[in-house]
Amino acid sequence: MSAKARARRTNFLLDVTLFVICILLLTPLILLIANGFKTPQEMLVWPPTLFPKDPTLENFHKVFTETPLLQWMLNSFLFALLSTVAIVATSALAGYIVGKFPFRAINIIFILFLATAIIPFEVYMIPLYFQVKALGLLNSVGGLLVGYLVMSFGIFLIRQNVIASIPDELLEAARIDGAGELWIFWYVVLPLLRGPLAALAVLAFFQAWTAFAWPIIVMTRKKSFTIEVGLANFQSAYTVDLSLLSAASAAVMVPSVLAFVLLRRNFVEGIAASGMKE
Amino acid sequence: MATVEIKELHKSFGDMEILHGISFTIPDGAFVALVGPSGCGKSTILRLIAGLEEITSGEIYIGDIIINDVEPKNRNIAMVFQNYALYPHLTVAQNMGFSLKLLKKSKAEIDRAVQHTAEILGVNKLLHRLPKQLSGGQRQRVAMGRAIVRKPQVFLFDEPLSNLDAKLRVQMRAELKALHRRLATTTVYVTHDQIEAMTMADIVVVMRDGNVEQVGRPLELYDKPVNQFVAGFIGSPAMGFLPATTKVGSSEMVLSDGQVLSKPTCVALDGDYTIGLRPEHIRLGGDGASFKATIEASEQTGSETLLLARLADQEITILLRERFDTPIGDVHAFVIDPTAVQVFDSKTGARIET
Repeated sequence: MSAKARARRTNFLLDVTLFVICILLLTPLILLIANGFKTPQEMLVWPPTLFPKDPTLENFHKVFTETPLLQWMLNSFLFALLSTVAIVATSALAGYIVGKFPFRAINIIFILFLATAIIPFEVYMIPLYFQVKALGLLNSVGGLLVGYLVMSFGIFLIRQNVIASIPDELLEAARIDGAGELWIFWYVVLPLLRGPLAALAVLAFFQAWTAFAWPIIVMTRKKSFTIEVGLANFQSAYTVDLSLLSAASAAVMVPSVLAFVLLRRNFVEGIAASGMKE
Repeated sequence: MATVEIKELHKSFGDMEILHGISFTIPDGAFVALVGPSGCGKSTILRLIAGLEEITSGEIYIGDIIINDVEPKNRNIAMVFQNYALYPHLTVAQNMGFSLKLLKKSKAEIDRAVQHTAEILGVNKLLHRLPKQLSGGQRQRVAMGRAIVRKPQVFLFDEPLSNLDAKLRVQMRAELKALHRRLATTTVYVTHDQIEAMTMADIVVVMRDGNVEQVGRPLELYDKPVNQFVAGFIGSPAMGFLPATTKVGSSEMVLSDGQVLSKPTCVALDGDYTIGLRPEHIRLGGDGASFKATIEASEQTGSETLLLARLADQEITILLRERFDTPIGDVHAFVIDPTAVQVFDSKTGARIET
């Protein structure tokens, strides 16, 4: 077999493998969306049908009228948006400082930042809950945000980018040109960090959007649920009404998918930026 | 414009002292080159003048003012960095007008200054481009433009040509020199390339290991280096050094292999010395040859021949202004004018005036 033919065969096998993996990943998603359009009877048919025989919008109608689904989505959106703004702001500032002002005290602070990443959230979730409760922030966006204002990975990500892509000379040139430190941060550093900050924003947004454990213990009133908590609620309140849950999940996916399509590049960049960036 | 005076300047990073008490004066309007091998502290001096590092002890004056505690932005200096340090997200015009904008000059005034400077440097067609859309030489010009536009008292250059290719470097050297002639602004220029220092500077400061070895005009350093280090550093190809001995009353320097170089002015000397031979002072010899050397390598550039030769167990370089084709290993006779032979103390390295 010639080298060319061998390469073609390898490529073909790779394509087939990737295609199979892709189908495996997509099937549950398609099934979920399909389930949203099925009648309760069809839900229980075995084997499950991939496309509903008798599609109905009844489930969606019920979900939007009987549960505050839109309110939950709005809650999640507000929470995710505020969390994103806070994380981008704190990461930019802290990442720049630990990247460019390597005094001993600042290095120690940076190590402390990193140390927070190795302590699982679940460990301090309960004490944090009592603090939030004492502050009277239960059932409020404020309470929700307490654990989502700073992201140690974000600080790390920005620090790495600052070190790799902002030479000291640039800051020194600005200082000689007469710029103050805040001015430099705002007009020189931030514009140069646009790429990584956008990637971080996408990560932060989805982290908050998909958050579950913290919202479920902080938000106890049905009206103030985030979408993740609301979805989980179908299981107890409706004894797992699968068609309703599917319809709700499918509806919730719409903004996520939209956001992903629009911000795909930033999303990939954020995932790929493991801190080893050139 | 202003003089820059450096007095007993010390700089330490932690326990490491980088500068050991440097003093020299840069006259108003002069072009001064700080030159020396890497790690000699020349860039540190520049950064201290710029205010990018804290002075450990000593004083720096710009004009009559001690600037030790003056913020960089208030020193009225401009610096051109080795990597140009152009703001990547700003256009050429914005880069050049950056400092004026910070001085809160009007837009019309900034535009005028930028336009004027861009014309001087020949970058007025590039004003709307971003730095990444420029070639190395163009970036270099923009970086200089950014410095010029604010009309500083002192220009500081930190190896500004070392990222350019050889041909462009020669061209920029001439342009920089012409620019200095036109603006007559006091300039401090750091380089490790002695040719840049020799060709551009009015005054050259040769440094080594945090000390100033010699301050002088370029040809003064070439003709009368204070010591063996300066002699070896200035001049390209570098001076060759050979151990030699002489006695009081003798007008000959005896090399370690017994060959003798005539040096009539050394009659007062006695003992062991190091003699220095500049490659370009050595010529092919006939009957009145000074010494014989074995050819070890030969490089022909067309107009010149560079020979690496072994003499008294030392390697010396010989630069002939003619074509000379010789097999490796041949022994040839060479002549050197006795007055061109330099004598150094073999222990201290200091040059001995003979």
